[in-house]
Amino acid sequence: MADTLPATRFNPWPATIFTILCVLAVLFLLPTVGVLLSSIKTTREISMGELWSLPASLYLGNFAEVLGNPAVHQYFLNTLLVTLPATAVSITLGALAGYVFAKLPFRGSNVLFLGIVAGMFFPPQVILVPLFRLFNGIGLIDTLWPVIIVHSALGLPICVLMMRNFFATVPNALREAAIMEGASEWQVLTRVVLPLSLPALAVLATLQFTWIWNDFLWPLIFTQSDDKRTIMIGIVNLKGQYSVAWGVQGALSLVASLPTLLVFLFFQRFFIKGMTMGAVKG
Amino acid sequence: MAQLQLSDLRKSFGPVEVIKGLDLDIADGEFVVFVGPSGCGKSTTLRMIAGLEDATSGTIRLDSHDVTRTRPADRGIAMVFQSYALFPHMTVADNIGFGLQLRKQDRAMISKRVAEVAETLQLTPLLARYPRELSGGQRQRVAIGRAIIRNPRVFLFDEPLSNLDAALRVQMRLEIARLHQRLGATMVYVTHDQVEAMTLADRIVVFNEGRIEQVGSPMELYEHPANRFVAGFIGAPSMNFLPVRVTGVQIESPA
Ligand SMILES: Nc1ncnc2c1ncn2[C@@H]1O[C@H](COP(=O)(O)OP(=O)(O)OP(=O)(O)O)[C@@H](O)[C@H]1O
Ligand SMILES: [Mg+2]
Repeated sequence: MADTLPATRFNPWPATIFTILCVLAVLFLLPTVGVLLSSIKTTREISMGELWSLPASLYLGNFAEVLGNPAVHQYFLNTLLVTLPATAVSITLGALAGYVFAKLPFRGSNVLFLGIVAGMFFPPQVILVPLFRLFNGIGLIDTLWPVIIVHSALGLPICVLMMRNFFATVPNALREAAIMEGASEWQVLTRVVLPLSLPALAVLATLQFTWIWNDFLWPLIFTQSDDKRTIMIGIVNLKGQYSVAWGVQGALSLVASLPTLLVFLFFQRFFIKGMTMGAVKG
Repeated sequence: MAQLQLSDLRKSFGPVEVIKGLDLDIADGEFVVFVGPSGCGKSTTLRMIAGLEDATSGTIRLDSHDVTRTRPADRGIAMVFQSYALFPHMTVADNIGFGLQLRKQDRAMISKRVAEVAETLQLTPLLARYPRELSGGQRQRVAIGRAIIRNPRVFLFDEPLSNLDAALRVQMRLEIARLHQRLGATMVYVTHDQVEAMTLADRIVVFNEGRIEQVGSPMELYEHPANRFVAGFIGAPSMNFLPVRVTGVQIESPA
């Protein structure tokens, strides 16, 4: 038998990792705390320069101003009009393409798959000018359409990649069993494979929603008038004529991040493992 | 119930021909067992009969209808997989009723049929459970239930019992034999287990490298093997071979 090790040997790793994670967490949370602090102060307090101090009293005027502002309502509506369809389109196409790549491969499908995934590596700067000229040419500038279309397209690589890889883990025998029972490929996808892929769908929905909701670049490029702007640009637009409205901007930043938080909390329950357990073998 | 006929059936994966021309007639209600060494093409043949794999050439006839190019669902064939292939997100009842649900049948009708099938397979207390909450034998019974609910004309089994322990295997073997008697359906069964083959089969088909070596009842194969391969394959423990020299009508062993 091997020598027995001392029962409790000091292992420095958990403590070290814990410390590093705490430091990182503080670093990441600091800006949010700053925004939170400024959102509950009056402009007067902020302009006195005490950014990090606790406010003398809880001032909710910034939030009232933000929530009562019709321009903000329009920003929210526009952002929803972009985020929901773009998220839905990219995930739907990702699921359809991913199913074919995972379960119905054809000659050259792997090359095609790599080609689609390679789309992830295009920096937006490269396609920005051509896209602007394209949408300008067909008269869609200053509408929400180019934003929706570009986000749907840019979401495709990650959606196809994720869905294909997840579908690949669903046993082929399940597809074949469903086909023997009379299912079409569409029914195999919707009744067997997708219900087993809820974790992947939830991750993608959260990812895509957050990324599109928070995007600043594409709406900035493709829209001009204030009533076509999305929320992230709206935050910048809220600056006053003569001064920067830190408090109001802080309030809107917090309000604007709520939907992504809600989406995360809603989909979190699907982030579970072991969905395919019990499918095959004993 | 149906009779099944394979004529000059061939299958190639790319340049490799793995099924090299099968001719086989299976009578209505017959229980046929495929045996043969690993990789000889038993599963591939079964999958071609099911329609999960396209035949490269040759024909498959069901009751003299050519079904070689027919979709799996329209052949009226059910298959029980070695891995059970139950849908993990559905209850036992939904697994069994899946095929009827796809056919948009009336809900009351489906539950009635599911209840009947569950009754015959002693699954009634388990209908609300999920596959992960079942034992191996229970899962296998659900897989069989899913196959029999549509009254298929032919049943295909690909090593259905190989994931079960020995005792359960004996019990399930009996249940399958009983099922065959009761339904009187045509069944094609792949196994590596000599005892399963000998006890279940009306006829055994011995495969070797994509060809059929011999077809016959278990005792025929045992007593009159057509060649040395069949002789060596059938029977456990396997037959003894002695090198001999033919001298007229008598044989003599050098040892
Ligand atoms: N999809 C495929 N692509 C290429 N070759 C295949 C494919 N499926 C099966 N084969 C080959 O065909 C041959 C027959 O395979 P098959 O699965 O029918 O064997 P089997 O008799 O069922 O063996 P076992 O008893 O081990 O299950 C094997 O040589 C296998 O490698
Ligand atoms: Mg096999």
